[in-house]
Amino acid sequence: MSFLNSYIYYIGAFGLILVGFYIILVKHNLIKVIVGLGILDTGVNLFLISVGYITKGTAPIFSRPGIDSEYMVDPVPQALVLTAIVIGVAVLALALSLAIRLYQHYGTLNLRKIREQRW
Amino acid sequence: MVNPVLLIAVPLGLAFAIPLFAFFWRPAAKYIPPAALVFNLVVSILLLAQVLENPLIVSIGGWQPPFCIILVAGPLGVLFSAIIALVGLLVSVYALDYIKEGPAEKYNMLFLLLLTGATGVVLTGDIFNLFVFFEILCISSYALVAYLRDKAGIESAIKYLIQGAVGSSLLLIGIGLLYGLFGTLNMADIAQNIKSVSPVSVFVPMVLIIAGLGVEAAIFPLNAWLPDAHSSAPSSISAILSGIAIEVGLYAVARVIFTIFGASSILLFLSLLGILTLLIGEMCAFSQNNIKRMLAYSSIGQIGLILFALAIATSYGVTGGLFQMISHTLSKALLFLAAGYMIYQAGSMEMSALEGLGKKMPLTCLAFTIGAFSLVGLPPFIGFPSKFLIVQSALAAKETFFSVLIGLALLGTVIEGAYFFRVVQVLYFKGEETNTPRKDAPVTALIPMFIFVVLSIVVGIYPKLVTDVLNSAASELINRLDYIRNILG
Repeated sequence: MSFLNSYIYYIGAFGLILVGFYIILVKHNLIKVIVGLGILDTGVNLFLISVGYITKGTAPIFSRPGIDSEYMVDPVPQALVLTAIVIGVAVLALALSLAIRLYQHYGTLNLRKIREQRW
Repeated sequence: MVNPVLLIAVPLGLAFAIPLFAFFWRPAAKYIPPAALVFNLVVSILLLAQVLENPLIVSIGGWQPPFCIILVAGPLGVLFSAIIALVGLLVSVYALDYIKEGPAEKYNMLFLLLLTGATGVVLTGDIFNLFVFFEILCISSYALVAYLRDKAGIESAIKYLIQGAVGSSLLLIGIGLLYGLFGTLNMADIAQNIKSVSPVSVFVPMVLIIAGLGVEAAIFPLNAWLPDAHSSAPSSISAILSGIAIEVGLYAVARVIFTIFGASSILLFLSLLGILTLLIGEMCAFSQNNIKRMLAYSSIGQIGLILFALAIATSYGVTGGLFQMISHTLSKALLFLAAGYMIYQAGSMEMSALEGLGKKMPLTCLAFTIGAFSLVGLPPFIGFPSKFLIVQSALAAKETFFSVLIGLALLGTVIEGAYFFRVVQVLYFKGEETNTPRKDAPVTALIPMFIFVVLSIVVGIYPKLVTDVLNSAASELINRLDYIRNILG
């Protein structure tokens, strides 16, 4: 159980990443693929956060008395995740607006039926 | 002294100011990208003379490295930012007349953001910063591929977006693993400590990062998006995507392999992958009837050649690879720009529609022909010295493996010659004699093409003009200890 306790966040993060990959690879509906991208993003963000997390951690504010610096979490991954979230939102928004256009052109969101461009 | 931060800050600021200017005076949107890129070109050239002696390290926020984000303006980064600004400037002049339909201010804003992202990637010294600039480049290129909003463009943009987003997630996981191992994001700091952990735990982030960057660099198994995206985008964007975006991807791959990981064990694998990419790209290009798809596949082939040259990893080989990057950028941008107006005139991208176009638009077709000859590697154009250098370096490596591979690469070049000469034949020697009036591309398109032609001939005749810069750029990539010492002191 101690293994689960110490690695639970990593297991969860990579679980989400794998679920995201599975959806992107297997599903035919564009909206589902975009949802998969969202889950993949969430998994990556969770992974980044857990890299810097310690159990019972607190915010790293040095000016506030009474906080032991041993328990401060690393703030850098959190800054990274904020950036990554913003980037993820931009990609998802663009993907959804492209999905609307795609539907207007083809009348379907099924990626198997949209095959004009070939090798 | 000029601060390299301006290379990123000025175009970024101007890009977001475009809607504001366009609100007061609509045509302003068109003229801001050329202005910003002229500024970048001048600053890069001013910096280039300076950084050849001593690389310039700028720490942002006033902290000491490795605790801050740094910009590293070494010979390699500044050379690339100069090339990006030059090609971007010429293409933006071309786009003044070429982009007629659609929301012009959005086009110009995304165009400038794409080039800002590319400049940021080549200048940054922080691996997460590299990811952010890479995303700026990618997101604006997804949107620009779909700019015309036609069926093909939307479909290719969706494909590109999905594959690109998966690639950048892989990159981010790799960066997270590296941060977990070393507790730093500074590339030089990671590079310094890379030997302190077991090679196995470094291998996983290395594979993830190379795979993530490889999607944008279009290395063989990851390049399914490229022919669609490059052929469905407007031609000015195809020129930028083929000439700059994939080169920047390859730059990032090279930087990660040489500087951060100092990995010599996977170089043989990469050279094999490069030749595979080359052969597959050239063979697919040979079987195309659509001229833009043919050019797109030929870009895949060229990327393979560059990757092979970089993977030789001698100073000769890396110089050859960088030289080939420049020659591909100039020639492929020229080809796409010329093809843009040829397609516009012929009304179709099919090869059969281009018959006899050489008499109707002689100057544009001459530019296309010169671009094609240069890409194949005929003297006296720029493609000749760069390919020659690659062959020379592969033979100088004195390994049978590289000699065999360079033989295959030359086979690829023969295929390349075959399909490019076929296009030239179609342009000049096929089709009925008709008395249609001559109607060439407009002046704003002819001037950039003329400059590309002049550059590729001048550098082709005097390769010495660039080889000094290329040598110091290559030594920046190979001598990672110098790079680390320059940054961390």
